[in-house]
Amino acid sequence: MTAPYIFDEFFASGKEETISPFLTRSSRTWGKNLPLKISLLSAFFLLLSFLSLLFAPSYSPIFLVLVYFLSGTPALIDTIADIKNLEINIDVLMTLAALLSVLIGSGHEGALLLVLFEISGAMEESVTVKTKDALQSLHNLSPKTGLTIDNAGVVIEKSVRDISIGTNILVKAGEIVPLDGKIVEGSSYVSLVHLTGESKPVPKKPGEEIQAGARNIDGRLLITVTRSSKDSTLSRIIELITQASEAKPQLQRWLDKFSKIYASSIILLTCCFAIALPFIFSIPFLGTEGGIYRALTFLVAASPCALILATPTAYLSAISSCAKKGLLIKGGVVLDAVSSCKTIAFDKTGTLTTGELQVVGIESFSLEKPYCSNELALRIAAGLEKGAHHPIADAITSYAQVNNASFYPVDNFLSIPGSGLEGTIQHEKETFSVFIGQASYIFSKLPQGPWKKIQETIASSDKIHTLLLIKDTLFVFKFTDKIREEALSALSYLKKKHRLSLVMLTGDHEKQALQVAKELPLDQVFSHLTPQDKLDKIAEISTSQRLAMVGDGMNDAPALARATVGISMGKMGSATAVEASDIVILHDDLSLVPWIFTKAKKTMQIVKQNLILALGVILLATTPALLGFVPLWAAVILHEGGTVLVGLNSLRLLRQK
Amino acid sequence: MSCRHSHFDNKSAYEHVKEARKKGLYASLETHGVEMSGQTASFLDNAKTTIFFLQLTFLVCNTFSFPSDTTWKILLLVSIGILIWKTGRSALLGWGRLGRLHRLIEEERWEIEHHREQEREELLALYEIKGFKGKLLEEVVDVLMADDNRLLQVMLEEELGLQLEVYEHPLKQASGAFLGVIFSSLLFFAALFIPFTYATYVFTFLIIAFCAYHEGEKQKSSLSTFLTWTLAIAAAALGLVHFLSQVLV
Repeated sequence: MTAPYIFDEFFASGKEETISPFLTRSSRTWGKNLPLKISLLSAFFLLLSFLSLLFAPSYSPIFLVLVYFLSGTPALIDTIADIKNLEINIDVLMTLAALLSVLIGSGHEGALLLVLFEISGAMEESVTVKTKDALQSLHNLSPKTGLTIDNAGVVIEKSVRDISIGTNILVKAGEIVPLDGKIVEGSSYVSLVHLTGESKPVPKKPGEEIQAGARNIDGRLLITVTRSSKDSTLSRIIELITQASEAKPQLQRWLDKFSKIYASSIILLTCCFAIALPFIFSIPFLGTEGGIYRALTFLVAASPCALILATPTAYLSAISSCAKKGLLIKGGVVLDAVSSCKTIAFDKTGTLTTGELQVVGIESFSLEKPYCSNELALRIAAGLEKGAHHPIADAITSYAQVNNASFYPVDNFLSIPGSGLEGTIQHEKETFSVFIGQASYIFSKLPQGPWKKIQETIASSDKIHTLLLIKDTLFVFKFTDKIREEALSALSYLKKKHRLSLVMLTGDHEKQALQVAKELPLDQVFSHLTPQDKLDKIAEISTSQRLAMVGDGMNDAPALARATVGISMGKMGSATAVEASDIVILHDDLSLVPWIFTKAKKTMQIVKQNLILALGVILLATTPALLGFVPLWAAVILHEGGTVLVGLNSLRLLRQK
Repeated sequence: MSCRHSHFDNKSAYEHVKEARKKGLYASLETHGVEMSGQTASFLDNAKTTIFFLQLTFLVCNTFSFPSDTTWKILLLVSIGILIWKTGRSALLGWGRLGRLHRLIEEERWEIEHHREQEREELLALYEIKGFKGKLLEEVVDVLMADDNRLLQVMLEEELGLQLEVYEHPLKQASGAFLGVIFSSLLFFAALFIPFTYATYVFTFLIIAFCAYHEGEKQKSSLSTFLTWTLAIAAAALGLVHFLSQVLV
């Protein structure tokens, strides 16, 4: 039986043709980057049309027809849709100006307007589509089915939508918990890294709550469902991302509003001029000296080609430059937002730190002389952990390998899910059991009285730790989450050069948070935060100042979406965080954060220069055009000249410095 | 299965399935019926149509005694017009069908998310007809309902009668039309160079026969009947136009 078709990716992409389930796989590539391909083909025909003007003018309209067909038709369709929805925006004005320019004999200028507009739109779309690729992984993380157990004890796989509250579900080792619930049977370590950012596996026992999205590491759990799929923690996080994303784009709304006012005003003015000019200047309505002709010239001259290109060309140049550096930016407005930020918040695990645990020391405790050396303890611990798959086991085995400590042979290996590991070893002609795991499990093997003080000492440690018991000696393996090498220089640069206030938000405990904080120039530290707490904190800071958030985990996703700018670590980050963010750092290089702030500020400078230039050209061309002082060809040259200058100015942003 | 829920619009689950199949059939067809799906079918259909119209134009030009260089120009312009029209139409109809199919899959997904009980009834009706009964029927439906992706695929294939991954991209389909028109035009113009009065007629009927043969084979109809009928229609049309033009000239 073949596997069912996965439709989630198709729907998540917004029903992209390139992954349509109805098209043959071989033919799907035909639709890839289609708007960009069509706009480039259109540009090619426009070039042929201009060249024909020089060598064979009668052939020029042939190519022009193709340009209007390829670029004009989609623009016309969009314009008709906008007008139907009573939306008069710059798109409508552009199309109107381009099509009317044909009526006054300036078809080439109109075609140029259409082609440039389409290329810029297609490139922006192409960048946006790339950033959607991670969406599929978000759906993968959210399980669609669960194993239910009926009264007769029969296991049946059911869609999470069909599993009601109170149903018992089975979650095997390695699986993701599909619904929130309470453990009724079994114990296990679970990873909450995507939900809370906590890198250390958490032990779970009967009676405890467990959240959807948690990964069951080593045991078999029977859970009673306490929340339906639409109310689960995972669904709630996804919902928070959506809500936060919808609440954000203020700049976009302002641009849309401006575009509507500008376009409506120009169209209204054109109509007024067409009617009024013959009365004011005593000229006819029709003819090349007529009022309608002058009004149309005004419309073409006022068509905001340079104004339209002022921002997207600058943004696209900056985006292209960023892409070469390994930064993926979801649209130009993000750069605008970056330049306005006064505060930057960082997640800890996976962002300021590498997210991987590292052994930083082994300490032994015993009531008498230690049974063996730390070196032998490391070999035994590595022997016990070699078959396990969680961050602590990986850290111990890696540490042993780095220190050339061979794994000690362990027999009768036994895993106690949610507690630790047990095995027997032979040492000095003696066979005995050794244990490794969490404190409660290890101390249950020791008499309470004499070990109480040691137990308290270990509990007060600010480091993540695991315990190894060999005979009557206790070895404490201490771990730390390694701070990224570039973190100090990047944060110092942000503080000194960009004068940003630096904040750290983490789901980890206060002790672990402060340990990282004391090594970095942070202004504020907030620890033990749930995804909701992080979102609230970001919302609170955002009310007083614009804020950028850098994170990687699924728990950061709502905050990333709510922040003025969300920046995620692409390699390390969860798909949800990548999806919720505005900027993705593909190679997880934290030093690119200050770089993007510098680039954003430079982009804003160029955008301002472009806008001044474009508005200047419009003012210079439109008023004399109305008075009949500037012929159409001169207005067009001024207009297109301004466009070229704006384009060249934007290209300066392509430099990598 | 006499559920009277609004999802079924006062029909039984099986009647609803029959309605849905009709809807699926409509969505997968190209309503204008001329262009066939797939680039090969599109090639054959357009090659046949192009050569027929070029021959028709040539016939009219000859009857009205146009100079040969004027006839050439007219034929060239007609073939360019056909090229753009047929290629564009083929792509447009392909996109039209794809759009209908995408809307249909979206509707079905919505139904699965919001009317699970009714979808279950439909599945029960569908598999009951296939001979499943009692506990086995319930188990089959449970398995299908467990995975939304699998359920959607089953509903598309079983309820709506659609097939996945069978259609070519509209542009690929249009490329077939493009090549079909180019192929016929080139052969027709080549025939004009042959010093034989009926060379274009021979080429026209050969190309129509070639295309009809492959189409007939694809449709699995009686080849000789299909081929003869196609050639007869072409001959009747050309003959009629020839003699009518003789009257009108």
